[in-house]
Amino acid sequence: MQGFRTSSDKVLKWAFIASVSVVLLLILLPVLHAIQLSFYHSESFVSNKSWVGLGNYARILNEMIFWKALSVGLIFGCLTIILQVCLGIAFALFLDRNFPGLPIIRGLVILPYLLPTVVVALAFQWMLDGTLGLLTIWSEQLGLGRPSWFENPYLAMTVVIVASVWTWTPFVTVSFLAALQTIPKSLYESAKVDGAGMWSRFWHVTIPMLLPMLMVIILLRSIWMFNKFDIIWLLTKGGPSSATEHLPILAYRRAFLQYDVGGGAAVATLSFLLLSLLILVYFYYYPLEEKESSH
Amino acid sequence: MIISSLRPEKELFDVPTLIPKTIDWQFTSYKNLLELTDYPLQFMNSIIVALAVVVITLIISIIIAYVVTRYRVPGKTMIVGSMLYAYMFPPLMLAIPLLSIFATLGLADSLIAVVLAHCTLTIPLGVWMLWGFFKVMPFDLEEAAMVDGCSRAGAFFRVVLPLSLPGVITVSIFSFLLSWTDYVFAFVLVSSDLNKTLPVGLASLIGSFDARWGELMAGATLIAIPLFLMFVFLGRYFIKGLAAGAIKG
Repeated sequence: MQGFRTSSDKVLKWAFIASVSVVLLLILLPVLHAIQLSFYHSESFVSNKSWVGLGNYARILNEMIFWKALSVGLIFGCLTIILQVCLGIAFALFLDRNFPGLPIIRGLVILPYLLPTVVVALAFQWMLDGTLGLLTIWSEQLGLGRPSWFENPYLAMTVVIVASVWTWTPFVTVSFLAALQTIPKSLYESAKVDGAGMWSRFWHVTIPMLLPMLMVIILLRSIWMFNKFDIIWLLTKGGPSSATEHLPILAYRRAFLQYDVGGGAAVATLSFLLLSLLILVYFYYYPLEEKESSH
Repeated sequence: MIISSLRPEKELFDVPTLIPKTIDWQFTSYKNLLELTDYPLQFMNSIIVALAVVVITLIISIIIAYVVTRYRVPGKTMIVGSMLYAYMFPPLMLAIPLLSIFATLGLADSLIAVVLAHCTLTIPLGVWMLWGFFKVMPFDLEEAAMVDGCSRAGAFFRVVLPLSLPGVITVSIFSFLLSWTDYVFAFVLVSSDLNKTLPVGLASLIGSFDARWGELMAGATLIAIPLFLMFVFLGRYFIKGLAAGAIKG
């Protein structure tokens, strides 16, 4: 640690100030601008704005669609997170042993996560295509008829959830797998000596040891799942009749399709506030200082 | 998906099976895709954007992370904390005001807008990850190099950078990945076909090509190929980055 002394230090200092300013400009400016936009009424990004104060918020909060979108987001978020975490842990436990070809399988496991969302959405749409989709035809052969996946609200929600879980479970698996390696084997052995079975070793050794990192995973996943825009938009566009429309999609539709930029910005700001709560919880449990000393 | 892209069109519309009966060695779907759509152009757009994002991210995040770990900087915990905070922002929350700002500046619907927008995701990520790397690197090494007559820049390029190469590579990979696969920002910011990046271009094919699943799957396969290649050659960095909880998704 030192101050800025020599001339090369001075250059670095200015480079640093410039970089930080760029970041502030890129990130802080949009956020402030979104909040500013939410106090105005305007029909597009180039038209005139008129000040409405909290009018946009009052309007949004009085609309059923906002509360519906909030609850859709909560249902989508909670279900996907629960499924991801349970499946992720199950896969990680399964992969945490030695058998031939393991490195390849471990590598393959994260592939869904690396695929662009567009590709995932396309693959699911293809499998669920009304006349040619593989799953449509299988379900017909099973005597369940041809489900219209994207027209039934419950089916559409199920499709969106399954696609999300398929894509983001690998994140949980890989993180959990990495954490599993940090548990000393001796703990399991002494538990075994004390007569603990598979389940009780899992519940009394694995889970307590990994609880802190499990919390991080769940928090991070929640923050990102509540934000998900692309997978839902690409699969259902929020339909049928807003059955899968959550806050990000509502914000987008407001701002871009219904010519209500202020309303869209207000929805975005509200969801941002809700999310900040989650992020604050994260910072409360994992202050940066602690991370600094843990290395 | 790869299978479907190789199927002859006729078979695509028969009763589907998981394994194709014949493989279309003519690559008709690929030919159609490359000759009849803007796909090649959009592929180039994506590459340009992703490379620009990687370069900008590396420069800015190396400077910030290095200075924050090596100098007394007032409020540095706040700087790093706000990076982490920014990294968790809802992308749409940034995309809406960014479009408004770019529209005012006359930059809307341009690749520059997309690059800058992607940087709002990748720079916080880069700073956050490199901060972790620079922090654990012993200062003694650089000091020794400087005592031996290296300038600070020399010490940085000869000692710090080579030692933190895994970190730099990981940041490059994840920046590339975020930019290459991003749909939200490009979708909101770009409207003309000529400036679309691959994911948006592909998604808009769904509407224009009615049920041309062969072409769509060919396009999806081609998007994934660079990722598969990166994964094969640089797989261990992926795992490391993921284990560090370092990607937005």
